[in-house]
This record gives sequence, C-alpha cells and structure tokens, in this order.
Amino acid sequence: MIENTKCECGHQNHIGTVLCESCGKPLMEIEGTIPLEMRYDGVARRSERANPTFIDKVWSFFSSVRIAVFLIFITLCGSILGTILPQENTFLNIDPSVYYKETYGTFGYIYYLLGLTDTYNSWWFRLLIISIGASLVICSLDRVLPLYRALSKQKIKKHLAFLRGQKVVYSTTLDFAQEHTSEARVAHASDWIKELVPHLKKRGFRVYTEDSALLAEKHRFSRWGPYINHIGLIIFLLAILMRGLPGWHMDEYSGFLEGDLVKVPGTHYYLQNEQFTEEYYTEEELPPESRGKGKLLAKRYETKAVLYQCSAACGDPGEAELKVVARHNITVNNPLHYKGFYAYQFDYKLTPQLRSVRVTLKNAGTGENYGQFLLEMKDPKDEYEAGPYKLKLSDYFTDFTFENGKPGTKSRDPNAPAFIFLITGPALPESGEIYIYFPRDIDKQRFNQDKLNAAVAGKFDISVNSMEDDVEIANYTSYLNLRIDRALPYIFTGAIIFLIGVVMGLYWQHRRIWIRIDEGNQLTLGAHTNKNWYGLRNDVTSVLAKTGLKVEAKSLDNGVNHQ
Amino acid sequence: MGKTKKYIQVAILGGILLIGGWAISDSLFSDHKIPQVGDRAPDFTLQGLDGKEHRLSDYKGKVLLINFWGTFCPPCVREMPAMQRIYDKYKGEDFEVLAINLDESTVTVQSFVKQYKLTFPILMDKNTVRRKYGVSSYPTSFFVDSNGRITDIVIQEMTDAFIESRITALNK
Repeated sequence: MIENTKCECGHQNHIGTVLCESCGKPLMEIEGTIPLEMRYDGVARRSERANPTFIDKVWSFFSSVRIAVFLIFITLCGSILGTILPQENTFLNIDPSVYYKETYGTFGYIYYLLGLTDTYNSWWFRLLIISIGASLVICSLDRVLPLYRALSKQKIKKHLAFLRGQKVVYSTTLDFAQEHTSEARVAHASDWIKELVPHLKKRGFRVYTEDSALLAEKHRFSRWGPYINHIGLIIFLLAILMRGLPGWHMDEYSGFLEGDLVKVPGTHYYLQNEQFTEEYYTEEELPPESRGKGKLLAKRYETKAVLYQCSAACGDPGEAELKVVARHNITVNNPLHYKGFYAYQFDYKLTPQLRSVRVTLKNAGTGENYGQFLLEMKDPKDEYEAGPYKLKLSDYFTDFTFENGKPGTKSRDPNAPAFIFLITGPALPESGEIYIYFPRDIDKQRFNQDKLNAAVAGKFDISVNSMEDDVEIANYTSYLNLRIDRALPYIFTGAIIFLIGVVMGLYWQHRRIWIRIDEGNQLTLGAHTNKNWYGLRNDVTSVLAKTGLKVEAKSLDNGVNHQ
Repeated sequence: MGKTKKYIQVAILGGILLIGGWAISDSLFSDHKIPQVGDRAPDFTLQGLDGKEHRLSDYKGKVLLINFWGTFCPPCVREMPAMQRIYDKYKGEDFEVLAINLDESTVTVQSFVKQYKLTFPILMDKNTVRRKYGVSSYPTSFFVDSNGRITDIVIQEMTDAFIESRITALNK
C-alpha cells in the first residue's frame, strides 16, 4: 500500500506522520479520536521508512519504547536472581566452585553452575545493559531530532481541525457588530489579537502573531528534559563499563602484618602497616549502665600506614626502589587516600610474632663483645659480620622441628625460628664452625641449643642485650580494604546530568496556545501542554478575562475526562 | 535525509557493537576467574632463585609441570626427588618443571635446594601467582600442554609413575 503523505496544505510529510508537520491537520482519518494524539507533536519517528534495510530493522528494533520497557523488565528480573545468594565478591578468599556447594547444598551448586554467583558481571547481564544503552541512544535520537525540527519551525496558523482536536478548546463569535465591512472586522480581529499579546507575555509566554492568528508558547525547554536525562544515563552506563578497563577499578582485601611491606596487587604501590592500635573505652568513659559488666567497647582501631610508590624493580619488596608518597593514620571510615587509591580499615587480628632481633656475638668464656647485627625473621640476609668473625647463614627454619631426625619447619610463620650459622674467623678451622641460634628462650630450652652446638657453645654466645630495645615484635595483622574507582567522577557527572533532566521535565511544562480568528469574528482557541492541564486552563481563562471574555475553566475541557 | 543519515546510523550501531563486544568479551574471558582444566595457564613473571626473571611465556611450546611448594609442607618435600628424577629423564624432550615456592626466605629455599640437589628452576612467589592460580592447599601441581592449556590440576603428593603418566600423555 502506498500511503499518500502529502497534506492538503502542500507539505510533504514522512511516513508515519500523524499530524501534518506544517499545518497540524490530522493526516489519517481518525474520526472520533478527540483529543488528537499530540505525542512528539504528531511527527514521524525518524526510523520509520518505506523499505527498511537490515540496519533499518535493527535500528527500529531498538527505537521501540515497548522493546525498551521489555529490556528493563528482563534486567530487573535478572537482577533479582543475583540477590538470592550472596555474590562471590562479598567473600574473601573463597573457591566458589566448592564454597556454594558446601554452604548451600545442591541448590547452591546449581546456582554456581548457572553463573548466578557473579550475576552482575555475567555476559548476559552485560548484554542486557548494553541493549538498554543502545535503546536509550536510539530511542532518544529518533524522537528528539524530529521533535526539535517540528518545534523550531512551527506554523502559527494551524488547521481548524487541529485546534478543535486539542484537549483544551474554546470557540466563540466575537462581538464586532459595529463593524459592518469584512475588511474592518479583519482589522479589528488583528487588533484584538495584538491586545492579547502583552497579557500572554506577562504570564511568561513567547508570542508569535500572523494577521489574525496567534501562537503563544512557554517552557519549551522542559521537552528536552527526558533527553538530557537519557544523556546522563548513558554517561552513567559507560562509566560503569569503564570500570572494566585495567587500573580503573579495584576492590581488594589484604592483611598487613605490622612492619611488613606489601605490594598492592595490580599497581606500583606498596603499603606498610607501621603500627596497629586497638583502644577500648575505660570503665570511667562508659555510660553508668554499662559499667562493671566487664564489657569491652572499642574506641579506636588505627593503622599507621605508609604508602610507597615504586619507580623501578617493582617485583620483590626487598629490591624495589620506593618513595614515600602518603602517610596516614587509618581509622574506621577515615581511609588513606592518594591519587584515587584508598585504603580503608576493615579488620584486624592478634598475630604476635617475632619480626627481628638485634643480636650480639660474644665470647662465651670471657664475655668479650665482638659485634652486633640485625637478624630479620622474614627473608634474612645470608651474611653477617661481628668484629673479626664472619657469620654465614647456611640455613633458616621459621618453625623449627625435628622430623625423622632431620631438621625441618612446620610453617612459614616465625613461631619457632632457628638460624644455622657457619662462623669463620680467628682461631677457627678454615671450614668454619656450625652454630645454631634460637632467638626465643623457650625454643633454646626445648631444642637444647647448647647441646646441639656442643663444643662451639663453649666458644660463642649469640644473645640479645635488651628485650625492650633489641627485639621487634609484630603483634597485629591489620586487614585493609584497598580500593580504586576512577569511574566515580563520571558516574557522578552522569547522575547530576540525569537529575538536571528530571528537574527540567518535572517542574516545568511545555504549554502552547493557538488562536485563530476566521471571517473576522469566529474565534477558535486550542491549547496543549504535556502535563498540568489545570495550570494551562488557568492561563487561558485569565488571559481571556483580560479581554473581557468570561470563561469557566472547566468549560474549556474538550469533552474527555482528564486531569 | 539519505546518505549522511545512513552513515550516522551505521556509526552509532558500530559504536554500540564495539563497546558491547568489548564489555561482553571482557566478562567472558576475564582472568579474575580461577583457572580450571582446559583454560589457558595465566601468564606470570617471577624472580628465580638463580636471580633471573622467569616468564611463563618464555616456556611456550614446552610441556610444563608447575608445582606450588614449600619446605614447611611435608608432602611437597617428599615429592621433590620424584620431580627431579622425571626432570632428569625428560628435560631433553621439551619438558620443564617450574617449582614455585610459597613465600619463604631465600636462605631457607637455597639450603633446601642444595640439600635435595634440585636443578629445575625454582621461582620465588610473594603470594601473587598463588592467588592468581587459586592455590590454597599444598602441594598443588598444574600440568600444562605445549599450547599453554592446563590439562590437569593435582592437589596431592605425586609419585614418579604418576608424573610420568601425565607427561607422556601430554607429549603425544
């Protein structure tokens, strides 16, 4: 079927046009459908065309609001699925393939197999989000451009059927009885129109006149509200996708033993917990009703943190070239931050262990002091010097034990450290002497250090001078939440634009009033707004009242019940 | 209307396809997932006990046994000699053992390697590769074929025969 889209006023309209773009005459025979369909001012959606190609079909698929609503509904249902069980990213260090089966049984396992344990990062969820984005862009473009065109070149004198088809209508015969010639009446009619202009302007309308026709319009910008809103949403969606770019988003949890330098994964940063403090309210500080119950109320959890940036050799913390870039005492909700990197206090654990000891090599007999050196429990150096003696660390066990008569270690933690030195120097055989050193007294006795060292025990003594000054103990492991979110400013920008759009569309209405006077005294008025018809009717009645036409606001209603 | 409109249409749809394709493939092939049998072994660079840097991709084309171990783990210690024997037997045939130590002190590892006379590369990991591979119990061994795909993940002590059966199957 070939549709004739040419209007009687001579304007060639696009396929799908409801009201002639020029004069407003209804193009399809829509008898009885009063009021007229004024959505998008009756113009055709951009994508509607006679012979669609494949691209046109894809385009018009996304251009449909019905499809958009459908997509949003599916996304909503998908999101609900993701709330049934806790998502993978809410746990620290779990193996999801095992965890869900063990914790939630067969249901949990099926849930995991379906990929619902990471719903919001699944391919289908992203596909839905992308489709919503596509639909937003295409729906908006298809509507905003024709609408913009229609609104920027409006004809002042509209077709009578257009005026009569509005929701707010009024018609009367003006009393120009004293004018007998039709020329005089026409002149009077344009005077009458001119008289109306200042009253409309006073109410904030922009007024355009043409002989005996008038168009008054206000707050057209509110029509752009939804589209600005969509731009905000698209920025928002793109920002969320940008989190997938390397280095844009991180949300990790890491343990920091006091004194340890730990690399922040995926960055050039190293973070060190210099000291962790937990502080409780004293009895006196507690409210009276809580006193004497032995209640412990936390006052402060604090991690003294130092952030380093690495410039070279960023692998092993021992070799990396580091520069302090930030220092902060992290407390709850008071993170360390540096250039978009944040470290939040999350948890702590009491993990007392030796970090280092400053030991002195002495002559066991005379007590002569040969020299001092620092022994670290984590990755100790392999050579030391004390006066004339050289000590080579030939083996080191963090958690010393004898297994089948052989020395070994039970764990990686320095619970019972044992250092095995090969000492060379004056009055010692060239191959040196073996000396085993246990920093902890309890281990010395448990493993019988003196007996193990046998004859050498009589020559040397390695010991700590002062428990306070020479022994470094790490008491706490502080757990920090490490975060980077470079997309956040864009998310906020999108959200603000979104809100601007909402405000534009919600608090203002696009109101238009058309008036034409035919045959010198036949006045027809039609008015349209996208909402708040009450306000529009008020505008019309008060302006008409200024010209002496007393009209009931309710009588303007075009026979249909609406607000 | 006409040509320019068509170009704009194609450009917008192309843009959406590009962003969408990236976002979806990023979700499908993200390396946040713990590698499973059949997946590509995630690449890493680690400092070796020999002082050199070792990259997994340097061993491309070889059949690999990646073993996570520590001197504190008795079964790890027990399977070391078996790994050394198999290494000696097959190292000429594009087979390599990468023994990744679990964050121990260099001195400790050095002394252990000397004592057990291990000659395959020992790599020193500070918990990063262990996390990437999702290893939580020791020893864990990954067998990787010459295409870089994981063919088996073994969480137990291995014997000579066991290792041999896995790598001869791979060498075919």
